[in-house]
Amino acid sequence: MNALATLARRASWWVVIAMTAVARAAGENAAPAERGVSLRGDPLAEGLILFGCVFLLAAAIGVLRFPDFYVRLHASTKLVTLGGLGIFGGAAIAFAPVQQVSRVLLIALFFFLTAPLSGYMIARSGYLRGLEPYREDTSVDDWGALGSEAEAAAQDA
Amino acid sequence: MVLNIAILCLAVSVLLATYRVLRGPSWGDRVTAFDFLTVTLAVLVVVVALRTGYTPFLDAALLISILGFMSTAALARYLLRGRVMK
Repeated sequence: MNALATLARRASWWVVIAMTAVARAAGENAAPAERGVSLRGDPLAEGLILFGCVFLLAAAIGVLRFPDFYVRLHASTKLVTLGGLGIFGGAAIAFAPVQQVSRVLLIALFFFLTAPLSGYMIARSGYLRGLEPYREDTSVDDWGALGSEAEAAAQDA
Repeated sequence: MVLNIAILCLAVSVLLATYRVLRGPSWGDRVTAFDFLTVTLAVLVVVVALRTGYTPFLDAALLISILGFMSTAALARYLLRGRVMK
């Protein structure tokens, strides 16, 4: 646990340093006027953020390890929606003392509008262009349209 | 403490998704991993805004989210028909 805390502190320092460099390069003063955002004594926000991070890490492992395009898309889309719920909820609670809740909720609204939509578009184009499932005997093609756009696209090209 | 662990988890997720973008055997895997990469990057920027207390990072997160969705939609359309618009 102690080693994990040390590793997490060092890694987060590198990410924070990189992002501060980006903000400085954009001409902004990266020193915060008030360091009012603090999670101390807010177990609800802490719990929500940890919940979301666990699900996003599980989604990344799924995208890395699953055998097939469709299964990877399933892991990415579903778990990202659940993890974003946790992280944006926790961030909205934690940003409440500095009156930034509306911006966090704006990002969350856009996120929940677009995450299922992009998953749908990727799945549709992959299915219609005929990406193969990794095992024929466990997959069911209800529409029989797997790869039905491939000939039309080949004629267009 | 919690925010450091969160940033570590999200950075590891971004690295794994980058591996899948570079390695993915088919283009569908690459587009899937790219969509996941942009979403995770936006979430990571939100958590970094919490960690540093520098609220303009929230605008950066919104911009990353919008650009990620637009590019994913354009890639999906391009890979379906071989062109973005009629």
